[in-house]
Amino acid sequence: MAGVSVVGYIPGTSILHRLDPRTKQFLVMFLGIVCFLANQWYFTIVTICILIFSPKSVWPFRLIGELKFFLLFLCVLFLVRGFGLDAHYIPYTDAERLQQAFLFCWQLLLVVLLGVMLVYTTSTKDIRAGLVWWLKPIPFINEQVLATMIGLLIRLIPLILFQALEISDGMKARNIENRRYPFYRFVRFTIQLFRRAFVTGDDLVDAMQARCYTEKRTMPLLTFAALDVLAALLGIGIALISLVGS
Amino acid sequence: MRYLQADNLCHRFADGSVALDQVSITVAAGELIVIAGANGSGKTTLLKHLNGLLLPQSGQVILDDVPIVDDLRETRSKVGMVFQDPDSQIIGDTVYDDIAFGPENLRLSSQEVKRRVTKAMAEVGLTGFENKIPQNLSGGEKRLVAIAGVLAMDPAVLLMDEPFSNLDYGSARSVLTQIRRLHANGHAIIITTHDLEKVLGYADRLVVMRGGKIAADGQPSEIVTTIESYGVRPPCSVLMNGVIEPWLG
Repeated sequence: MAGVSVVGYIPGTSILHRLDPRTKQFLVMFLGIVCFLANQWYFTIVTICILIFSPKSVWPFRLIGELKFFLLFLCVLFLVRGFGLDAHYIPYTDAERLQQAFLFCWQLLLVVLLGVMLVYTTSTKDIRAGLVWWLKPIPFINEQVLATMIGLLIRLIPLILFQALEISDGMKARNIENRRYPFYRFVRFTIQLFRRAFVTGDDLVDAMQARCYTEKRTMPLLTFAALDVLAALLGIGIALISLVGS
Repeated sequence: MRYLQADNLCHRFADGSVALDQVSITVAAGELIVIAGANGSGKTTLLKHLNGLLLPQSGQVILDDVPIVDDLRETRSKVGMVFQDPDSQIIGDTVYDDIAFGPENLRLSSQEVKRRVTKAMAEVGLTGFENKIPQNLSGGEKRLVAIAGVLAMDPAVLLMDEPFSNLDYGSARSVLTQIRRLHANGHAIIITTHDLEKVLGYADRLVVMRGGKIAADGQPSEIVTTIESYGVRPPCSVLMNGVIEPWLG
């Protein structure tokens, strides 16, 4: 399991760890939305803030390893947006087009990084407690069930990735790569992964039931402190200055 | 004194195969029972019935003179189960969170949850592991986290499904030491295994399962001499000297 590379909670005592989960969730939502309205100065400030406040242990290898598919996606996106095809299907570009593509990718990267920092510094239990607090005032939504589903999803993803890794290794060990058609490999892999994902899900449910699982559990005590007020004001201040400036 | 009892349990899987066939067993308080049997003999299915994870098609399980179907939640807090694969049992992001999962489900106060988690961690020798990530621990440590997670619910009976599988020598020693300590503290423990070597020397009773039925039930020294006929390898000490010797020496 230790070999599975997936974004997950890293225990620690950094400033972000000490913030209330609700403050972090607010900042992720607020700063993430402002990303789509602000300019490169805002991107720069938020990037610097992420560099300063994120857990040092993730830079750079762990973060790159865990976001490699997203980074690849961003590269493709950059090429698609940064280059066009003329009437003869020859690629062309210019400085402005490249700049726009770069800013768009930066924007997306920041939104994802904000979410990743939340997951790195907040335990699933706290994320769940924060979500229950946010969702409680919304009518017709069972906040306990919804928060539990999100918590379960966070728990199940590493297990499924681990299964995928094992199936892939097992297939490679029996020379699946010698098969000529990628579709055959894909089908064999997918069927097996689905089967094992369901079995793993069943095992997880059994383990939870065996420990008296219920949606209404003892919740962690959440408290806003001076640090939370400071962080929220800082986030709002950066966003407002950037929005006024642009 | 009889504490947990299964009467004529029958269970058939969806594909029609018989998992349990008229299985009856009693567990006294503080007893250490080893359930042995070949793969597919029904050991794990029986444990899941004793914990209320599976309900029988006929027969019943009684805990402290009350049928468990009357209160499955109470049953699961009194009869804790440690699964064979600790990875699928890990729920929390940290060792502390994982062990706290059970007490939190019992809706205990935060102070009581903390007290129980601290106590359970100390009992299995995991003090200082609070902020470690469970997935990164060794197999033996994961097994101890799973045991602590069950202990934090303060159960009277512990069900352990193949607790020594995939463990190296040191980890197996560590897990067995904890099992002995828990038994000495008065917990009733039921261990399923097809490897009798490690645990039989400490068992009060040996139950052998075959084809979903209980094939033998009694004193380990009486049954172990014929156990090979049920597809289970006797411990080395029995093969060489004809006596059951403790694995830890």
